[in-house]
Order: sequence, then structure tokens, then C-alpha cells
Amino acid sequence: MLRQFQLNYRQALSETASLLCASIMLIFLVSMVIFIAFQGSQYFVPKSAYKVSITFADAREEVFYQTSALSLENVKAQFDSRYLGQFLAEPENTPEVSVQLAEEVYQVVLDSGRVHFGQFYALSSMDEPALPLSELDNLRDTVALLQISLQEAQEGRLKDLHERIAQLDRSGVATDAPARDALMLNFNRWQAHVFELDRQIQKYRMQFKQADGDLISIALNDLDYLYQPNQLTLTDKIGFTFSKIWQFVSDKPKQASTTGGVFPAIFGTILMVILMAVAVAPFGIVSAIYLHEYAPDNRLTGLIRIGISNMAAVPSVVYGVFGLGFFVYTLGGSIDELLYSNTLPSPTFGTPGLLWASLTMGLLTLPVVIVSAEEGLKRVPTGLRAGSYALGATKFETIMRVVVPMASPGMLTGVILAIARAAGEVAPLILVGAVKFAPNLPIDGEFPFVHLERQFMHLGVFIYDGAFHNQTETQSSSLMFATCMLLLIIVFLLNISAIMFRHRLRDKYERV
Amino acid sequence: MLKLFEREILSVDEISKAQTGIDVRDLCVHLNGKLVLNNINIRIPKNKITALIGQSGCGKTTLLNSFNRMNELNRNHQCSGEVWINDRDIYNRKERISRLRTQIGMVFQRPNPFPMSIYENVCFGLRIQGETNRRKLDDSVERALKNAALWEEVRDRLFDSAMILSGGQQQRLMIARALALEPEILLLDEPTSALDPLTTLYIEELINELKKQCTLVVVTHNMQQAARVSDYAAFMHNGELIEFSDSDSLFTMPAKQQTEDYITGRYG
Repeated sequence: MLRQFQLNYRQALSETASLLCASIMLIFLVSMVIFIAFQGSQYFVPKSAYKVSITFADAREEVFYQTSALSLENVKAQFDSRYLGQFLAEPENTPEVSVQLAEEVYQVVLDSGRVHFGQFYALSSMDEPALPLSELDNLRDTVALLQISLQEAQEGRLKDLHERIAQLDRSGVATDAPARDALMLNFNRWQAHVFELDRQIQKYRMQFKQADGDLISIALNDLDYLYQPNQLTLTDKIGFTFSKIWQFVSDKPKQASTTGGVFPAIFGTILMVILMAVAVAPFGIVSAIYLHEYAPDNRLTGLIRIGISNMAAVPSVVYGVFGLGFFVYTLGGSIDELLYSNTLPSPTFGTPGLLWASLTMGLLTLPVVIVSAEEGLKRVPTGLRAGSYALGATKFETIMRVVVPMASPGMLTGVILAIARAAGEVAPLILVGAVKFAPNLPIDGEFPFVHLERQFMHLGVFIYDGAFHNQTETQSSSLMFATCMLLLIIVFLLNISAIMFRHRLRDKYERV
Repeated sequence: MLKLFEREILSVDEISKAQTGIDVRDLCVHLNGKLVLNNINIRIPKNKITALIGQSGCGKTTLLNSFNRMNELNRNHQCSGEVWINDRDIYNRKERISRLRTQIGMVFQRPNPFPMSIYENVCFGLRIQGETNRRKLDDSVERALKNAALWEEVRDRLFDSAMILSGGQQQRLMIARALALEPEILLLDEPTSALDPLTTLYIEELINELKKQCTLVVVTHNMQQAARVSDYAAFMHNGELIEFSDSDSLFTMPAKQQTEDYITGRYG
């Protein structure tokens, strides 16, 4: 009786304990996703702007402040806690903070990503000092036209003239030769024209009054967009959110990666994993076929298998160091010596870049591909092989026509898992080519169009870099979380597609 | 009336060389270091059905596999002796195994259709041979399926997956797949052991029909089936051929005590 009770008790206990562990794990996982999604979404939703007045013992400061805090009290609490820390030694001097909603204030975002707050003060064109705000669109059109002609003058005329003068200089023509003088005259005329255009453009300005009453003047040419954060209707807010999301995925990072978008990082990540997949998939699958179909079943093969499994457990930074030492310095250095000796000592391939990053990641994910491809090969029933042999197929024909199609779910899964892994990796990439800001995309209109030697941006590295920015600066940390969310979504999508792929192919090939 | 029961069956010793389909001489096979076939000598007659019987592990399947050299899929395999088919020893060094296997079809215990359409399953062997002419492929597929008595059931869904067929249909598909190559010899390794009695009967009738086209060798555990279907029967025990004679005599008055024990169910 007692024994029975103990048994029941023990069973219930083990059941409860395992349930507890499983649910704790699930809670952790779900809360992590929710936390990142919440923090990341802060980057996209419009936030209210407040006017904060801080009265110190001897001075008074007023600022416009934008925050996602929901009420005035929350904003005040933010500031109070900030000053409480600063004035811990002299609590009697702790400033008085008062907060009010800044109804009329504009948020002005410049092309550079810089953000200003202020109340609209004046709009001025070349000859009209004070225009109403409704003229803004017209003026911006005018500025855009001026900017186009300036560009034309600069790109079309000045550049060409400058080149011709430089050519004359190179060929040793005297500085006072008439041909050169004529060119110089032309050059100066166009330059003056450009200066004049620039001066005109700079005349179109907008002025805003900041919280402390100071005026700030902004050239319309530098303006990206402006809006009133506290005057948005619900539709405006939704539209704003979507335009922010679009900017996030299509624009490049601005203001030292604290705002703007992450398009170059998405682009770099995708290009890198595609190159990696192209390199690793054939190599890994063929290796798996050899190991499973051709290699003799002896100790050496066993050792190779153990070696491959262990390769998957090598810390990724080790691969990074290997990639740097072998691919970049040795291989890249040799390529430079052989093919690019005229540009040495400045390296072309002998420096971290996209190609080496892809190859390093290929090496890192090779074990994943081999192991899952071999797993797929193992699942092909021997009866099918025998059936194929019995119909006169050779080993090669059997492998190509029966075994590989049936093992393809496993192989594809391996490749997709490898891609997911490479998309989320950071440490080796920093060593072999991913940078926090790359001025150019690896693909552009310049011959040879794909620049494998260039450095590139990567989502994981972008997040790693973002984590070092000032944590109190809400804008930049929410950009980091938004990137985290994007990376999570990409990796989830890849994994889900791997699962779906496997199911579809399994339905097709594995119902035996 | 008597004529109805009369079968044109010669006794084993009377089979001439011309009537021999497979001539096995002194065949010994080692698999994984174990002697599986010990000095087998047997002449399997042409265009007849020969049944191989014996308990599990006695070497029936190994003997069957040595007729199309399937034993060699096992890496740890050794064999000596000769197997003569069409006046040549298939174990000679110049023999091309894949070609040999197109001439000797094989049907396995469990149906093993490829995960492709019915059509592709049947013409798999032909495609391997490099046949690309669509009309020829179509003709061969139709003929093979008709020979395997499957045509009427699948003619409307030739391009559906072979996986959706029933077990009996799959096994007939396997026979059709082998027949598409027009083999001289068809080896059947317990072809009905995974099927229900009615389907079994169906397959047996089919086997009887196929006798006209090719030599058949059937491995079976089912004594009734062996007696029903086969013209000749060989009893094997522990890797040795104990008795080989026409089925009527083997099942009614076996010469050896061991054979009698086995077919009356005293062991095995």
C-alpha cells in the first residue's frame, strides 16, 4: 500500500518536474521573442514629443524630448531618476523638472539622419524672407531643380574639364600654354556657376525655434522630412510606421549607425550566404556521397566521420582566425602577387573581404551539410538500391537516379541550416571581412559588377556593433533591437522553409 | 481425362544441354566469412518454373542472388565455381554485370517501387539502357504491364506515383518492371510472402503465364505454393542442395529422408 503510494508519488513528482522545466524553458523563449519584438518595434512607431523644463539652482534649461513613455508622469520620472543619480552628493541642488506636451513642435529629419525639434518660425526663399509653411512643397521642388542643374554642371562639365587639364599637365604642357589657358578659363567659369548655384540653393532655408528660444536654420536641400509628432491621426501613425519600416529595409545606416536603415547589411548578409551556399553545397553533398556510398567501411572512414562531427564543435572564432591566416593572408596575398602586383603594396584580395568571408563560413558550415546529407543518404532503403541494381543500373546510375533524389530532403535541409547558421554568425565574420560600415555595396554598376574583394556589412555584426553604442540613447538601441528582430525573422523563415522543404520532398520521395 | 493431368515434365536427369537455362557447377559462396553455399551443382531447365525450398538461412536467396551476381553488393563476399547461362560463365572476368542483370530480372520479397510514376518505374531499366525514343518506351511499358496483368488497372493513371498502388499491384508492377527489359530469366525471391492469399493466387497465375517467355526461379516458404506452381523443385539445407527433381516426385515421393521430413513439417 505504502509502496504503491510511493510509486505514484514518484511518478507524479517526475511528471511535475519535467513539466516545470519544459514550461520555464518555453517562458524564457517566448519572453525573449516578445522582449525583442517590443524593443524593436519602438524604432518604427511614432513617439510623442514633450517639452521638458529643468530648473537648476542657478540655471534653467528647456529641451524638446521625444520618448515612447505614455504619460507626462513617466517622462518626469525618467528625468528625475537621471538627475537623482547625478546629484547624489548634493540632493538639495536636484533640479526641478516639469514636463508638458509639446503640441506644435515639429520633428525635422535631415538627409544625414540628424534630428531637430522646434517650432516653425520662418520659411525663406532667395528673394522672399518670410513665406507661409504651405509654400514648402513648391520651394522644395525649386531646390530640387537647382540641385539637378548643379549636379549636371559638376558631373558633366567640371569633371571633364578637370580631367583634360590634368591630362595636359601630365603630358608636360607649360602652365601658360594657350590651350591650357582656354581650358582653365572655361573651368573657372563653370566653377563660378556651380558656386552661384550652391549659393542660391543655400538661400532656401527654414527656421525653427528650439525649446530654449534659440533659432535653428536648416537649408531645404538638407531636409529629408518633417512632421508634427503630437498631431498625428491614427492613419498618419500607421502610414508613418510603414514608411519607417520601408526606410529600415531600404535605406543605409545614418549618424554612425544610430538611425536610418539596414539595407546594406541585409544585402551583404544575403550575398554572403548565397556565395557560401554555392561553395558549400556541392562540396558537402559530394563528400557525403563519397563517405556513405564509396568509402570502405573501415577505421579510417570512422575517424573521418568523427573528425567531421568534431569540426562542427570547433568554436567559430577559430574558423575566423584560420580564414584570416589562410584565406586572407596566404591565398589572398598570393593572388595579389600574381595578378595585382601593380597595385601592391595596397592589397586587393590580401585583405578581409566578401569572398574570404563566404569561404570561411562555408568551411564552418561544411560539417552541418555533410552530416545531414549523410543522414539523408542513410534513410534511403537498401531495397531500392537493390531494385535499381537488379535492373542493370551501375553504382553511379543508382546513386544519381535513385539515391540522390531520395536523399535530397536531407541534403537541402543541411544547406538551409548552414545558411541560417551563417546568417547569425558574428565572430569569424569580423575577422574576415564584415565591417560596421561599408561605403559601397559589393555589387554595383562598376566593372566587374560583383566586387568579391570588398568588405561588406552583415546583420549580426551590425547588431554587435550597435550593442556598443550608448545604451541610454533610445533611438540607437531601438535600431539595434529592430535589427535583432529582422535577423530573428530571417533565421526563423529559413528554418521554417527547411522544415517545409523536407516535408514536401519527403511526401514525394520517402513514402515507401 | 488422363491427358489433363499429364504434364510435359522430363525427369531431371533427362534435361539436355539445350534445355538448360542455368547451369551451376561447384558453386561455393562465402558471405561475411561464413560458408553459405557449399558446392552446389544444379541444372535449371529453360522455360520452366523451378522452386527453391528449404528453411530460413539455408542459402536459397544466396543461390538466387548468385544467378545475377547480386551477392556482390555485399562487400565481404567470396565465391568460387561457375554459373553458365547462354553458354557463358557469368563469373568470368569479362562479364559486364549491369548487362547481365538486364538479361536476368529479379523480383524481391517486398515490393520496392521507386518513388516515381508507374510509367517511370516500368521504363527505368530501359532508360538506364539509354533508350530515349518515346514511342518505343510507350510500347515497352504497355507490353510489360500487359504481361504482368496490370495494364487494365493502371492504364488511366500511368503518371501517378507508384506508391499509391496496393501491395499486390506493386508486386505486379515489380514484375512488369523486370519484364520491360525482356529478360531470359526471372528470379523471384518469395514474391508473395507479403501478400494476402487472393493476391497470391493472382501472382501465381501470372507466374504460370510467364513460363512461355522466360525461365523462372522462385524461392518460397510456402510448400503448397511450390507444389502448385513449380515444374521442378530443389530442396536445400544448410547451404547444400539435398534434392532436385520434378515437383511431382519431390512432393509425392522424395528420395531423401531430409526432404520428406521438411515437406511433411517435421522440421523447418
